[in-house]
Amino acid sequence: MTSLTQDPLLWILLVVLIAAIAAVMRARRTNMALRRTRKDLETGLGEARGDVGQLHTHIATLSAQHQRDLADVRGDAEAATKAVLKSAMGTLQSLAEEQQVLLDSLLKKYGDTTDVLADLMSVDHTGSQFGRRAKGISVLCGGWLGRRDGVATVYDVARSAQGRIKDFNRVSVHSQVGVSLAGKAVEPVAVVLAELLDNATNYSAPGTPVEVNIQAVPTGVCFIVDDAGLGMDQETKDRAAALLSVDGPVDITGLGDPPRFGFAVCGMLAARYGFAVSVGSVSPYGGVRAVIRVPESLLAADAPSPAADAQDAAASQEAAPQRLASVPAVGPSHVVGTTQGGLPKRRRRERPVAVVPALDAAGQEGTPESASEVTASRLGAFARGTQLGRTTNSTEGPEYK
Amino acid sequence: MRARGEEASVTSEFVRSYVITGGRSLPAADDLALHTLVTLAPERTPPLGAGPEVMAIWKLIAGGYLSVAEVAGHVGLPVGVARLLLTDLFEQGHLLRRAEPPRAQNVDRATLEKVLNGLQSLIG
Repeated sequence: MTSLTQDPLLWILLVVLIAAIAAVMRARRTNMALRRTRKDLETGLGEARGDVGQLHTHIATLSAQHQRDLADVRGDAEAATKAVLKSAMGTLQSLAEEQQVLLDSLLKKYGDTTDVLADLMSVDHTGSQFGRRAKGISVLCGGWLGRRDGVATVYDVARSAQGRIKDFNRVSVHSQVGVSLAGKAVEPVAVVLAELLDNATNYSAPGTPVEVNIQAVPTGVCFIVDDAGLGMDQETKDRAAALLSVDGPVDITGLGDPPRFGFAVCGMLAARYGFAVSVGSVSPYGGVRAVIRVPESLLAADAPSPAADAQDAAASQEAAPQRLASVPAVGPSHVVGTTQGGLPKRRRRERPVAVVPALDAAGQEGTPESASEVTASRLGAFARGTQLGRTTNSTEGPEYK
Repeated sequence: MRARGEEASVTSEFVRSYVITGGRSLPAADDLALHTLVTLAPERTPPLGAGPEVMAIWKLIAGGYLSVAEVAGHVGLPVGVARLLLTDLFEQGHLLRRAEPPRAQNVDRATLEKVLNGLQSLIG
């Protein structure tokens, strides 16, 4: 045993053992401390990650809010622009309308002066184009078109549209249909057709014809516009199709500079009044074929005769023209009774009397009449001649030649 | 500015007169004077593709002589425009025309009084 305690090796072993135990204990402490630090750091990292997530959510909310506000502001600006434009265009529309009414009276007034009439017509033409532009912009801004009280034949609608474009004399209208459009559809269809004709004449070579064919289809009436231009590329077709199928307000700031209103106006009016416009197909002349299909609900129930419009019919009813030949008979036979006071009761004359008495030559050239009608007519003419002599002031009228 | 949904009615003539003439230049006024009388030549059929205005004039002058001014008034067109349409018809051989007829001569007062008395005894 003593030998053992005196053995230096034992002491060395002991010292080494103690040192090892101390080292292990120290390492263990360090390890524990490191674990604690790591745990703390992990907790901190989790919190930071949570904060970052919250921040992301917040940013998303803010940017959504920002987008909404921006859209609102844009919408407000668009609405305000449209309101101002609509009001301004309304004024221009009524001015153009007034000008047309004025020109109508001037055209009648100077109708016999050929030079003045021709000049007035060119002024009228410019005014009509101006009116079309004003109407188009007004429609895009939510304005309304003028409404016609009466119906109009499809032929007249097409000719009215023809009058609103620059090169109207390149357009020819062919109609085999005698139907009329209802009053509310007349102006919108005319405006749309004018826009299509404007496109057709602008995008085809000068001097080439543009045709409007009006055809009846089972579901209504079609206005078919054919030009001899180069047709449309795919981009234009897509843009046209998008604008024509629009349902709702149109973004007028997105129409380019200079703005191309045409298709937007067509799409807007077609959607509002319930007819269809398409421009996709190819015309027989190689250009674009545009078609307006007006449904039966927008056609007038009773079609006036295509030969004379309603105004002419009314005018001829209220004042039949006075003619030289075939004058009506008036005479004693027109006394149909006696009044209570003993005065003769006469039948109202069917037609007004002729101012100029019938000549002998008129009998040969006029419509054939039976012998009794001729006699009655001559008697009547004589009676009227004497009546005229009594009532006419001799100073009236041109000097006797 | 109009209220929404309210549409003012269109009052002006719908088809403009330069469309009716097709942008052609108008004939001189001395060709068919205001008081020139026109009527349809016998046994004529309206030209193919005649517009509503031509048809209205056709119907109007089918019944006998009318002056150019009257035709224009009845179809509601400026005289120059009606004159162009009439000139077309004339060039196609559809029209007969003749100058203004001489005015009736004044009859002396005694004859008129006799006629007046006669008429009064007839219808009075």
